Amino acid sequence: MSARPETPASPAKNFKIKPPQPGQPVYGCEHLQRLFNQDQMTTNTSIQHYKAILRAIFDQSPLISQTSKTIDGQIVTSLTPTYLCLQCPSISSEEDRTKHGNKKSHRFYVDSRSGALYCQMCDDMVWDPTIEDLRIKKMGNGTFTSTRKRKHDELFSPDPVKDSPQYISLNTTVASCKASGLRGIYNAGATCYQNVVLQSFLHNPILRNFYLSDGHSTCDTQHCLSCAMEDMFQDFYGTENSNGYTAANILSGFWISEKKAFENLVTTKEQDAHEFFQFLAEELHERNGDGKRPEIGSEHSCNCIIHQTFYGKLQSTTTCQNCNAVTNQVQSFLDLSLPLENLTQKKGKKSGQKPPSMTLQECLDEEYIKSDKCEYRCNNCNSMQQARRQTAIKRLPNVVSIQLKRFEFKQGRNERAAKIDTPVHFPLQLNMLPYTNRGREAGAKDNFELARSCTFDLMSVVEHVGEIDTGHYVSYCRVGDQWFTFNDHKVELAQKSDVLGARAYLLFYIVRSLS
Amino acid sequence: MSSDPNTTTTGKAGVIVASPDADSMDKLAHSVLDDLLYNIVHDLLIKVHRDEKMARATTAAIKVEKLAADTLESSTPDGKPDVRVETDAAIYEDGKVLLRGNPLKTTKEILCPKCHLPRLLYPTDGKGARKPDPGVIYCKKHPFIDKPGYDIYGQTWVAPGPGRGKKKKDMEKKLDPNDPSSPAAVDGGSAKDRPPNVLSFPSATCSKCKRCILVTRLNNHMGSCIGNSGRNASRAAAQKISNGGSNGGSQNNDNTPPGSQKGTPLPGSRAASPRKRDAEELFDEDAAEESDPSNPKKKKVKPNALTKKVILKTKAPVKKEKVRASSLLNVEQKVGDDEPGKSSTVQVAPKKSTPKGPSPAKKVSKVNLNAKPPLQAAAPKKIKRDRDMESESSGTLSSPPQ
Repeated sequence: MSARPETPASPAKNFKIKPPQPGQPVYGCEHLQRLFNQDQMTTNTSIQHYKAILRAIFDQSPLISQTSKTIDGQIVTSLTPTYLCLQCPSISSEEDRTKHGNKKSHRFYVDSRSGALYCQMCDDMVWDPTIEDLRIKKMGNGTFTSTRKRKHDELFSPDPVKDSPQYISLNTTVASCKASGLRGIYNAGATCYQNVVLQSFLHNPILRNFYLSDGHSTCDTQHCLSCAMEDMFQDFYGTENSNGYTAANILSGFWISEKKAFENLVTTKEQDAHEFFQFLAEELHERNGDGKRPEIGSEHSCNCIIHQTFYGKLQSTTTCQNCNAVTNQVQSFLDLSLPLENLTQKKGKKSGQKPPSMTLQECLDEEYIKSDKCEYRCNNCNSMQQARRQTAIKRLPNVVSIQLKRFEFKQGRNERAAKIDTPVHFPLQLNMLPYTNRGREAGAKDNFELARSCTFDLMSVVEHVGEIDTGHYVSYCRVGDQWFTFNDHKVELAQKSDVLGARAYLLFYIVRSLS
Repeated sequence: MSSDPNTTTTGKAGVIVASPDADSMDKLAHSVLDDLLYNIVHDLLIKVHRDEKMARATTAAIKVEKLAADTLESSTPDGKPDVRVETDAAIYEDGKVLLRGNPLKTTKEILCPKCHLPRLLYPTDGKGARKPDPGVIYCKKHPFIDKPGYDIYGQTWVAPGPGRGKKKKDMEKKLDPNDPSSPAAVDGGSAKDRPPNVLSFPSATCSKCKRCILVTRLNNHMGSCIGNSGRNASRAAAQKISNGGSNGGSQNNDNTPPGSQKGTPLPGSRAASPRKRDAEELFDEDAAEESDPSNPKKKKVKPNALTKKVILKTKAPVKKEKVRASSLLNVEQKVGDDEPGKSSTVQVAPKKSTPKGPSPAKKVSKVNLNAKPPLQAAAPKKIKRDRDMESESSGTLSSPPQ
């Protein structure tokens, strides 16, 4: 099968292999070294071909790369990985790979699931720095060059002076290998609701890079919460200490802060982690942003770190049922709040007495795919009319924070707030495309690049255990591929099953290309 | 499928096998599931393989580079880096590192790319633990420990008292400074008997009053030290009322250190119309508080007076609390006398009277805590900055006010 796209007509550009770096071999193996050292033409064609293969794997229907041709001409599509020859357009199964190699003396193949390179002479996967760079770029951005402007590109705009190794080694101290950022935070007396949010901030790579690269500087404000955050980041990632951290400055900044909206939060009692998250986000925005107060609901946007990390935009479309006039309203959002109660009741009715359980995707469907009826004043008809309202995400943030509204004010039961304990299954990997405006457009489903840019990985989970009025918060955060449980000052290893089994209250998903 | 589903009963992994006499749909389902399983294992393996092989390749490169640097140094001090050095795993040539063979076979250990020390490959304790070679200096990044009751560094903490984060009542009991089982009391003298991996709860400096507070009480402390809302507002107000009331005659000396107020007996006239009095005082206090931010000096007077107290007499905070407790007690008992129906206030009274019992123990712990400040060098720099900034004012204020 040669369904792979034709390689573009020979560009004038010569491909270079990655320059040697200290502490890293230049080539993945001796055989690849020989291939790249033959002549420039071979290098060019190999790399071009590799790029074409990656495009075939990641940008097109998997049907193409998963379909191979056996030696005797039989065409087979398989679920298991196939191997795409680097030197010719053939695709073979694992069994036929050796035969193809012997016949044509083509020795390099690309694994159709991961895009990784296989060397037949090593009989092993090979991780070549040049090839790996291409692969990781492709998997992240979907392009080989970072020409596409996403908002997070601005975060990492290279500064030629500051990025030179000499400048870095002169002006920085190397953090100890022990400083991993994995530390607990002591509970200062019913402050676990703060600790869980702080932990999820600490293990957010965007915020970490911001604070560790001196993103918040030149600050004279007394009791600045952002300075306190910076101190905390420095302490977590710069010192060898493995004991818990005492977030005294954050706590005092929190006490001193005079935010009217969060006045009720500042007590010695147990509080809502979500409210603290909102408080922290707004406070840090004010310290780092344009100084304007963020109003949830307005179309306000700003370039501060918090906005670049958490804020996205929602668009609600209201269609008048009388004259079909459409009004669009755009709002910025810090998090997506998903009510559980309605869906729980619906499910409970359907499945009878069984304790209902649902998925995060069902909750998102309910809010951002289905439309609801409402009354509104139509400008066209000049009267109150029935309307259909539908909300979708216009711009996805880099970190999607989701609150599952587990604390609901129930009218019937003594007018008290109650906790909904319904388990909500959430995925490690979340596709947000169906909830966006673009996801509605025709052909979006077949656009693999778009789908990849809307793929989010679970980053941290905040769980509340206990009753509505008293309980404890625990959080789970992912560092690399390993999950950890953060219970105040105590950090333990966690299994993925522990994480996924948690009755999550807050969920933080980070866009794939950044994680 | 890589092969005809009618003839095979399984997929590529060969784990999920249909019975040979199953119908073709059944066989197909089995082989699809089996293939998916294969894919999961494949992806996992690729990931692990990548990490491991790249770590070994890096190790090989580090080793050969080090060797090259050594030979350079020993042979020609000003020599160009055109030496050629070989190890079993790699070649160093023209400033480039070239691999020899498969690093998974040629290289056995993993060096940290940062500090170039060997990585410890097994945890030292808990699940999968192995004894590390005592003769080797390992990179400080150790595999995390998976052991029940211990954290990832193999640390554990002294029992923090009952019901950590379980019941509100327990939480309050734990935070109650008078509870003998609270960490403050436990901390007492056992610090030396503990193994090094058993940690105790540290203390932190309040950024406002610079007192050293046990971390578990920090929030409560800040509530009373900084806080001006919520439950503590009333408490603070009540305290101020009782203090203010005791100073009734002299309105002008706001600066009276709380310690000197304790001696002043409560005027009997206060009980006559407590409500009215309270309302008035409360209003006054509110007004005073509102004007506070505009008058920072006034705001600072109190905390600094406190700090001074702490330095001079470590007992001061304890006494102050006692005063407050007893004064509250008085008021509340009187209220209780007036309104026998109010049982809640009566219940409070016995709880408040407990401090007399365990207070010596508490004093000891207080002294211990106050002896710590020299060790506070690890405190975040921000605090230091604040302290520096305020040192001027505290210098002037620590001189006798009269």
